[in-house]
Amino acid sequence: MQSVVKSPGSQISAGLSPLRKCWQRIVGFLFPPESDTWLAVLRIGLGLQVIAYALFLRSDWHYLFASSGKGLIGREVSEAITSFDSRWIPTFGWLVALGRNLNMSEDAVLTVAWICLLSAGCLLLLGLFCRPAGIVAWFLHLCAAESGGLLAYGADNFMTTALFYLMLSPLPDRYSFDQWVAKTKPRNPQVLGFWRRVLQVHLCFVYFIGGLAKCLGNGWWDGSNLWRSLIRPTFTVVPPDVLVRFKYALPVLGIAICLLEVSYPIFIWIKRTRLIWLVCILAMHAAIGLLMGLYLFALVMIVMNIAAFGAPSTTIQTNWGQRRSDERR
Amino acid sequence: MHFFLITAVCFAGVFWLIAQGSTILPSACNEYARKAELVATWCLGKAARASNPVRRGIATYLHAVGIQAGYSFFAPNVPSHHRLSLELFYDDGRVEYEVPRVRSRAAALRLDSLLDRLSEERYEPVREALVKRLAFSVWREHPDVKKVRATFGSVNPPGINEFEYGKTETFQPMFSFDFSLRDEQKQ
Repeated sequence: MQSVVKSPGSQISAGLSPLRKCWQRIVGFLFPPESDTWLAVLRIGLGLQVIAYALFLRSDWHYLFASSGKGLIGREVSEAITSFDSRWIPTFGWLVALGRNLNMSEDAVLTVAWICLLSAGCLLLLGLFCRPAGIVAWFLHLCAAESGGLLAYGADNFMTTALFYLMLSPLPDRYSFDQWVAKTKPRNPQVLGFWRRVLQVHLCFVYFIGGLAKCLGNGWWDGSNLWRSLIRPTFTVVPPDVLVRFKYALPVLGIAICLLEVSYPIFIWIKRTRLIWLVCILAMHAAIGLLMGLYLFALVMIVMNIAAFGAPSTTIQTNWGQRRSDERR
Repeated sequence: MHFFLITAVCFAGVFWLIAQGSTILPSACNEYARKAELVATWCLGKAARASNPVRRGIATYLHAVGIQAGYSFFAPNVPSHHRLSLELFYDDGRVEYEVPRVRSRAAALRLDSLLDRLSEERYEPVREALVKRLAFSVWREHPDVKKVRATFGSVNPPGINEFEYGKTETFQPMFSFDFSLRDEQKQ
């Protein structure tokens, strides 16, 4: 009988193999090869979002962001609160100061900012100069969100986040004009997969925390919070008289929302339940948009969800992929 | 690092809600939640001095990514709606009632968001300045007004059963300010 004597090196490598497997699984999770369809969805969706944002606020743009004496509250208070957090956060105050050096009035700077934001939205929609357009849209929207910080709400945070991810993602995608005109080489599918993962994990945080916080309030279990949110004067789209007819459905819907959100990080990853959770979440956001008039909030959440989990995740066979497999061989 | 910061922001928000006693958890949890919130905010550098570059760097990053606030919208419960009503006093003794206005519905949502913030304790130092600015925005439309009395309060909607019995919303005044062209006096 022959005994097999293992060398110390092979023993160490055998001991490390579970660690290596674990590491490979982490890398496999973080860098799955992906096509750029999700990125096209994100770009087109955010292009629409930025256009809608600019158009919805066009009549109040100067009134909301002008300085004291001309606007609603003046942007100085919001900017002062922001600068207390950090003076490095961009605001319209920076652009107005820059414009002053170029002999531009505050009104002119705000008008130019609005036009640039709208143009960046249009360029994103078309896929022309994708990355510069993404950076400009993120920067100008951030300036608006910070200069109007006291007037901001959830949609602004999500827009900033989505534009931040878009600007860093490997643009342009194959559906963009940039790709059609410049014929750039295909993007690394694993880098595309990484940025999609970041978006997916971020959404899991969003829904888990939102769901957890809702579960801690008694009003979501008896439907009273749904009632209160739907009859808030600014959100009232459906008259309370109509809502009363569905009073027995409100507790069920309230509990469903809590459970849907808190379990999102589990069921959205399971292939069998992914479609159900995605459809339910999209329906919830569509309902928020239609029943509460929060159109911008609804649109940005729908775009992020479709880009993260809705767009097909098949890997396209690219020259890059072929080159990698050749190398491996 | 990115997701560590998101976790810290999110849990700081949830622990703050628990520490405030506004959840269904027993009050014994409040103290623990307060301590946990301190840990979470420490991770965000908020324990450091305002001029600390690490604190500023983290804050800049959080704002740049749009993750400076948690995601507990309308949670644990939907807060009351708030209203600012302005009484405009004219020289001839006439009194008119107004509210701050914007043109679009999108901007109205933002104005609503501002009014809800005014009720929060952390905005107390800038409350008077903000109400004055809102009053001034209405004053510009009515330049011959002598004095403006701004009354801010919460609007409590009826419950669904109360609504069926015909109960309407109630207004609970929280504070009011008198503004004139020469001086402002808090009441």
